[in-house]
Amino acid sequence: MVPTGWLLHTPVLTGVSVIGPWLATVGLIAYQRQARIIGSMAALVSAIASATLLWKAAPGESLYETLMLLFAGLTFGAIILLPRRDSEAGTIAGLLVLLGSTLLAYSTGNLLAFLAAWILSIIPFLSATGLRSRKWRPVVGLLSSSVAIALAIGFIVVRTGTFSISHLQGQSPGGLAVFSLLIIAAVFRKGIIPAQAWVADAAESGSPIPTALLLNGHFGALLVVKLIVPLFPEMDRLFPVLSYLALATAIFVAIRALAENSPRRLLAFLALSQSACILSGLESRTAEGVTGALVHWIVVTVSTVGLFGVLRLLEVRFGENLSASRHLGLAEHAPRLAVSFAVLGLTLVGLPGTLGFCSQDLLISGTLTTHPLIGLLLPIATAMNAVSFFRLFSRLFLGRHRTGFTVMADALPRERWILAGIVLFVVLGGLFPNVTVVEHSSAVDVIDESSRTFENLHRGTGYSGNNTSIQRQPPKPELEVNRRTGT
Amino acid sequence: MNLFHVILVVVVLGPGVVFALFALLWLLLAWTPSERVVSSITGLTFLACCSGVAALIWKLASAPSITVSLGSWFSVGTYHFPLVLMVDRLSTPFLALTAVLSGLIGQFSATYLHRESGFLRFFLLLHLFAFGSLLAFAAGSFDLLAAGWEIVGITSVLLIGFFHQRSAPVENALYVFGIYRACDIGLLAGIVAMHHWAGTASFADGSPSLTGAHAVIVCLLLFLAASGKAAQVPFSGWLPRAMEGPTPSSAIFYGAISIHAGAYLLLRAQPLLAQSLLACALVILIGAATAIHGSIVGRASADAKTSLAYATLTQVGIIFIEIGLGWRWLAVAHILGNATVRTMQYLRAPSMLHDYHQMHSAVGGQLSATTTHIEEMLPEGIQSWLYRWALDRGHLDTILERWVIAPLLQVSEYFSRGDRTPMPSTKTVCPAEPAPIPVARAAKRGG
Repeated sequence: MVPTGWLLHTPVLTGVSVIGPWLATVGLIAYQRQARIIGSMAALVSAIASATLLWKAAPGESLYETLMLLFAGLTFGAIILLPRRDSEAGTIAGLLVLLGSTLLAYSTGNLLAFLAAWILSIIPFLSATGLRSRKWRPVVGLLSSSVAIALAIGFIVVRTGTFSISHLQGQSPGGLAVFSLLIIAAVFRKGIIPAQAWVADAAESGSPIPTALLLNGHFGALLVVKLIVPLFPEMDRLFPVLSYLALATAIFVAIRALAENSPRRLLAFLALSQSACILSGLESRTAEGVTGALVHWIVVTVSTVGLFGVLRLLEVRFGENLSASRHLGLAEHAPRLAVSFAVLGLTLVGLPGTLGFCSQDLLISGTLTTHPLIGLLLPIATAMNAVSFFRLFSRLFLGRHRTGFTVMADALPRERWILAGIVLFVVLGGLFPNVTVVEHSSAVDVIDESSRTFENLHRGTGYSGNNTSIQRQPPKPELEVNRRTGT
Repeated sequence: MNLFHVILVVVVLGPGVVFALFALLWLLLAWTPSERVVSSITGLTFLACCSGVAALIWKLASAPSITVSLGSWFSVGTYHFPLVLMVDRLSTPFLALTAVLSGLIGQFSATYLHRESGFLRFFLLLHLFAFGSLLAFAAGSFDLLAAGWEIVGITSVLLIGFFHQRSAPVENALYVFGIYRACDIGLLAGIVAMHHWAGTASFADGSPSLTGAHAVIVCLLLFLAASGKAAQVPFSGWLPRAMEGPTPSSAIFYGAISIHAGAYLLLRAQPLLAQSLLACALVILIGAATAIHGSIVGRASADAKTSLAYATLTQVGIIFIEIGLGWRWLAVAHILGNATVRTMQYLRAPSMLHDYHQMHSAVGGQLSATTTHIEEMLPEGIQSWLYRWALDRGHLDTILERWVIAPLLQVSEYFSRGDRTPMPSTKTVCPAEPAPIPVARAAKRGG
């Protein structure tokens, strides 16, 4: 009997999930005609390895494993969903590079690996023909964020001589300068004001499904969770700045979306406005706020990829000049795409019975505790986003149906099953949210290392949280993400 | 959990389960059931709901309320979303009204929408609406009530846009959706404020204990939500637009259930309302303004459904006055009467002209004129001014468009200057568009 126990070791599983997709890109060079099969198999292997990691993870320490599984699963779905004209070897290779680098960023506890993952994730979108944006803003936005984080990590390594994130926790390495560089990196990568314009440009001029995956790696939020909060607890006076910037982005972009007629840009604005709320929740440092932010992370990721997917499927069927300035009546031809679009969009804006409702409820409740203004203004941004989404839905799918072309296929079987899977995920997740919420409420501990460090440093100085503050949770031994993932 | 607890859960979940089953079968297996199957299952579902409600009413004769705690929907730390269903003497009439009228509307629509292309869609939305309403009326907390409330709102909007081949219903649905979402911010903020100040939004064990300014703020927020749903002034403009939907849905939404949901919310919040003189005064004032507005505008309405909508609105305004004055049970009786009569009137509306012509013929073309109208007692100048005012529906839409929507769009346009780019052109952005592929070929090729 061949011993297979070594396969279940954490470093091996992490290696498989991260390196597997990269190795598959080599196979794509030889077998370009089988690009979709190779890509989907690689993503599936990565998802299975991530699922095993999640299964092995200790309770309360499964945040990054959950995100790895989510991203690998979504990449698998995206590759299946890609229309024929987009599924060239170059595009699939770009997606696999993005998958590997995103999983590396989630799993690593090493600064250099994190930087490498950050840069690798944007390379396909700067070089690959099928993915490159034709506008300057996405290039500048992504490069600026990379330069900022490279400088910050360079400073940290030069000053401390270590690459380990866990060793640097609570030390504020590099002080305000490095902190500022990291904030700049997060702002550029996440598309926070004043760097919000590149996101819509990227969605409009690049390939929509891969761009949705790029945006939904949420590297900006990951930077906050992984570096900014744990490494700089003494800067907590400045954290609310990030929250207010995120709130300003959510409101600004929600208003901006009201008059937008390009479906791709409008969806990008909605995704940006809703995902900005994630930062507010993470910064609130209440159990509800942080849990809400993490669940919202999942909601935004899943629904945005699904929405861009449906939009792309419509584009290949009905032409790329779709516009929300007039009624197109596409529901007559594609009712299942219409229903999927409606459910995913309403999930994004918090329809009851979907996971979006739970995340919004927790987010608002959590942020209201620490920043009442944010807690009150977030629902206004969400309401405006809901109106913008419904306008887009009604203009695309309702109204007098278009004539002048032959009968078009509704969702094909492969598309239907992937979209149904995504819809079921958000609906079942909404009906039985405790699975997701409990998972992430315990994962709050992973993020909150800094708060406890800060509390230890300032014990007796009068700083205290309220009754739901995560500072009140019992102290735990230092958590090392890299100990479990082996990277 | 005893038998009555099970009955309560089944009554609330029944229509939701039927909706989920039909939707899943259609989405995954592309199965479209026949009209006979849909109407039979609908009839059986609502018959079961009515029987369940009857059993609950029988039980309530000997108990003040029936409460079922199903744990928490989700919980984090000390925060949890309670999943508590409760029926008491306030919620029972609303549950009965929903179950009975949904069943009747289902049976009516099976004939009314026969061979209509959206037959299945209508019944799916009817089930979803019934689930949302039953959930809202049987909720033991404002959190759960809000979930049902939102579901009622979205089904209402989707049914307004039911005849989606025309642009007008779709645009009107968008308008109504905007008003709903704007006003629902009040409900959401009110609930969060209750959690923040009272630690709970549950009313199963008594109302959340709030006093002073906190009670006033929560009441005003809830009143905003109630006003939006009940089309009170200044949000009345959406009601005539909502008449674009099929007549059966207009009957159950704007004659019976949805339009009175705002009043139900205020009745639930009555203990809080009683602590706030300001909120009570505002409820009475807005109710009175709505009643007058509805009465005047309804007289100048040209079509039957819009006239009925304004007649309903007038009564809902009076119901708000009764709630503001604390006449709780009078308001409940008023709601029951108004909902039943209006539903019947809405359902008869398509036959009204036919009836009139029949009556006209029966009396030999000698129908007597109606008696003197009260507005004829006013001076002629005021009459004509009121007529113009009524024709423009109190200028409410104009005010909203000029002072809210237009400025918001202007700000949006202004913001877009920073990132405006022309629409992508097929020629420059993407490869040439291939010829459309017929269904069979596309399925065969897999993309």
